[in-house]
Amino acid sequence: MTAFVEYLLTGVARGLVFALLAMGFVLIYRVTRVVNFAQGAFAIFGGFITYSLLKAGVPHGVSEVLAIVAAALIGLIFGIIAIGGDVPLLASLVITIGLSILSEAIAMLVWGTIPITYSGLAGHDFVIFGAFIQRQYLIVVIVSLVVFVALLYGFGRTYFGKALSACASNPYAARLSGINVKRMGLIAFTLGGALGGLGGVLVTPLSPITYSGDVSLAITGFAAAIVGGLTSPGLAVVGGLVFGIAEQFVAGYWSPSNETAVALALLIVLLLWQAKRVPVGGLE
Amino acid sequence: MKSTEPAAPSADMSVANDSVLATVDLVVRYGAVVALHGVSIHVAKGEMVALIGPNGAGKSTLLNTLSGINRPASGRILCNGKLAHVPEGRQVFPDLTVEDNLCLGAYRGGSRDTAPMYDLFPQLQRLRNRRAGGLSGGEQQMVAICRALMANPDVIAVDELSQGLAPLVVSDIARHLVELNKQNGTAVLLVEQNAQLALNITSRAYVIENGCIGLEGRSSDLLRNPAVRAAYLGGIR
Amino acid sequence: MSMRASRKIPLYAVVAAGVITLVLPLMLSSTNTEIYVTIGLYTIVVAGLSLLMGFAGQVSLGQAAYYGVGSYTAAILALHGWSPLVALIAAPIATAFLAFLVGVPLLRLKGHALAFGTLAFQLIFLAVVPETASLTGGSIGLSAIPSLRIGPLAISSGRDYAYLVWIVVVATLIIARNITRSRPGRGLRAMAASVSGASATGVEVERYKLKDFTLSAAFAGIAGGIYVFFIGYVSPDAFPVVLSIEFVIMVVVGGIGTVSGAFVGAALITVVSQVLTSLGTSPSLPPQLPTVLSLGVYAVLLIVILRLLPSGLVGAFSRLWKKAQSASPISHVEGDGTEGAISATGSEEPDELTLADEV
Repeated sequence: MTAFVEYLLTGVARGLVFALLAMGFVLIYRVTRVVNFAQGAFAIFGGFITYSLLKAGVPHGVSEVLAIVAAALIGLIFGIIAIGGDVPLLASLVITIGLSILSEAIAMLVWGTIPITYSGLAGHDFVIFGAFIQRQYLIVVIVSLVVFVALLYGFGRTYFGKALSACASNPYAARLSGINVKRMGLIAFTLGGALGGLGGVLVTPLSPITYSGDVSLAITGFAAAIVGGLTSPGLAVVGGLVFGIAEQFVAGYWSPSNETAVALALLIVLLLWQAKRVPVGGLE
Repeated sequence: MKSTEPAAPSADMSVANDSVLATVDLVVRYGAVVALHGVSIHVAKGEMVALIGPNGAGKSTLLNTLSGINRPASGRILCNGKLAHVPEGRQVFPDLTVEDNLCLGAYRGGSRDTAPMYDLFPQLQRLRNRRAGGLSGGEQQMVAICRALMANPDVIAVDELSQGLAPLVVSDIARHLVELNKQNGTAVLLVEQNAQLALNITSRAYVIENGCIGLEGRSSDLLRNPAVRAAYLGGIR
Repeated sequence: MSMRASRKIPLYAVVAAGVITLVLPLMLSSTNTEIYVTIGLYTIVVAGLSLLMGFAGQVSLGQAAYYGVGSYTAAILALHGWSPLVALIAAPIATAFLAFLVGVPLLRLKGHALAFGTLAFQLIFLAVVPETASLTGGSIGLSAIPSLRIGPLAISSGRDYAYLVWIVVVATLIIARNITRSRPGRGLRAMAASVSGASATGVEVERYKLKDFTLSAAFAGIAGGIYVFFIGYVSPDAFPVVLSIEFVIMVVVGGIGTVSGAFVGAALITVVSQVLTSLGTSPSLPPQLPTVLSLGVYAVLLIVILRLLPSGLVGAFSRLWKKAQSASPISHVEGDGTEGAISATGSEEPDELTLADEV
């Protein structure tokens, strides 16, 4: 029971991190139709920058916020490179692949190849049903829930959010209404960068990150996003939770080395399930 | 169709001072394909003008160019006021509610108060919180028109008002357009394949064929024009 | 020199290329022969991927895995007593079958699910091989693979393989060209290039995409099969994710959807990667430098080419060539010359394929 609770709670926390990445995918895809391969890069930059700032003596809290701002900026720059001007969709996708490996090169150059981590906010671990849970897990849960609520409110209720949804819903009509769809796309990239950065900031104290960690984060985030057909933020959160919990149970009850393989197998199963729901010829 | 009258000889002459919207020798291309070869039209303040012609003649291209979606290769667009565009196929935001669809019409500025729209089309009132994608074609057309009107335009360009709609629904919406034109003085550029409808409710009209203005004149004259009757009115309906 | 324009290649160029291809293996050192064979193998893989990207508008990040599946199929069958030639022929068939199974669901999904799905496939491949040691030799791999014989002909020296590879290169390029010239190929390409939308139905599009994807895997499979007989052993290290990305870069550098681009891209990137490796491995330099260098160079190449030369090097050169050849000035322009605003990619030459959007 104790182990079960521990795996469940850590799984939920990790799942919420995946959900943050998945939300970034959904946001960028909805507005621009680009599947941003560099989504994982935002997360590793978030983690690495926090690490460097903390090491330089910048206090907790400030470091994390600065790192998220930096990740948002990186998102904006990536957006400009990937969709600025007149670029076909396939080219944008391949450019994000380039941006992803560029990020790896930069991360390796600046932070090296050794995995890095830092301690989360100080405080006591707590006990639930006899399971010791690090405080960081609680922080992850609270922060991501707050962000999800803020995002859902922002998209559903504000005029700006409606304009963003309009771009996703019908880009042509959005242009006719005077909405600058390209600029909205760049805003989506910026927000996607911030979400990815936040994910990285939150996950690094729980599991060390390396320069090449972006690929697995991106794949898991994509897998979570595909649960909602890349367009539903709510289902993306569900997808993130499924992956986070599954991963922890596999690692706990079976073997940590099977973690990735199981996540990938789950991804394939999800893709098959999604494909079954798409009518033949029902391509976008 | 053979033109029985030559097109207006000089476009610049026809751009009168009271125009809200005019084009002069507009040329638009898609790659190597020329979609519009020097089109000149004008719409006066408070005027209702029809643009009729067959499929692929360049009607939608012209409207998309007027709203800045296409860029002209050459020629000029003169806009003496605000233009709002009701695109072909309605193009509502399917995932958004009717209310949100209308609100976004005011994106360029102006009041976001949607109440006048529900006065204009009372049917929309009870649908205001429904997803626009789930509405009937006629209801979507009303949403699209209201969304355009939310921009408080001086001229509203409606592309294929009747497309895919039942005749009763079409005449109802057309009546609203005429009413709007009379009450607010909003000029209307109506692009239609249904020439009978377009010529009935407008005062002036252009016939566009293969990217050129073939004919222009008073709608009532065009209704009687044998060539127009043969090509667009005779026997088809 | 897009696929369509390639029929305009002058005869002397074909003859010269043929002569060079035939003579070169006689003159190369053994290291250079290996590079020569590698370029040939990669040309085969890249021709398939180029077809997929140019005509189906889809990216696969698992071509290295298909290359690997071809290698393992040939190796395992040959080691289990099958005739090496049969094993080699089975390699593309098995690979294509696997790709078909992966492609059926993935190609129905929107949003370039194929890119992530194939990457997942590659990662699963790399995770499964070390766990199935009884069949695949695990992470150590398989060795002592019997040498290839075609009838009475033993293929053993590097030079033999050089000839074999280039025969297969020519065969695959001809297949690729015929596919692109065939009606479905042209239809798909027209759709990919058109702004206004597709004329074919979703089902047809799906079938063409699946065909291209399966064929691209078959190309990777045959190349993998030849590779394993050439090298004589196989291990999972030979098929890293970065190789899949390299294949994508080769396509982009050469020019998406072009036959000659497959060779140019494969040759250029193979040489670049050789140079980068030798540059970075000097003992005085930090050990991660080669990786940083190659990742950085690849990334910059991908981004710069897609942003500045979307039709790749071959496309850019053939445009320059055409410009130099046509004596007449620019065809007369009606209006004030702001054309080209409608579409930034090759609007002057609607014939030329640049990049396909997702169809």
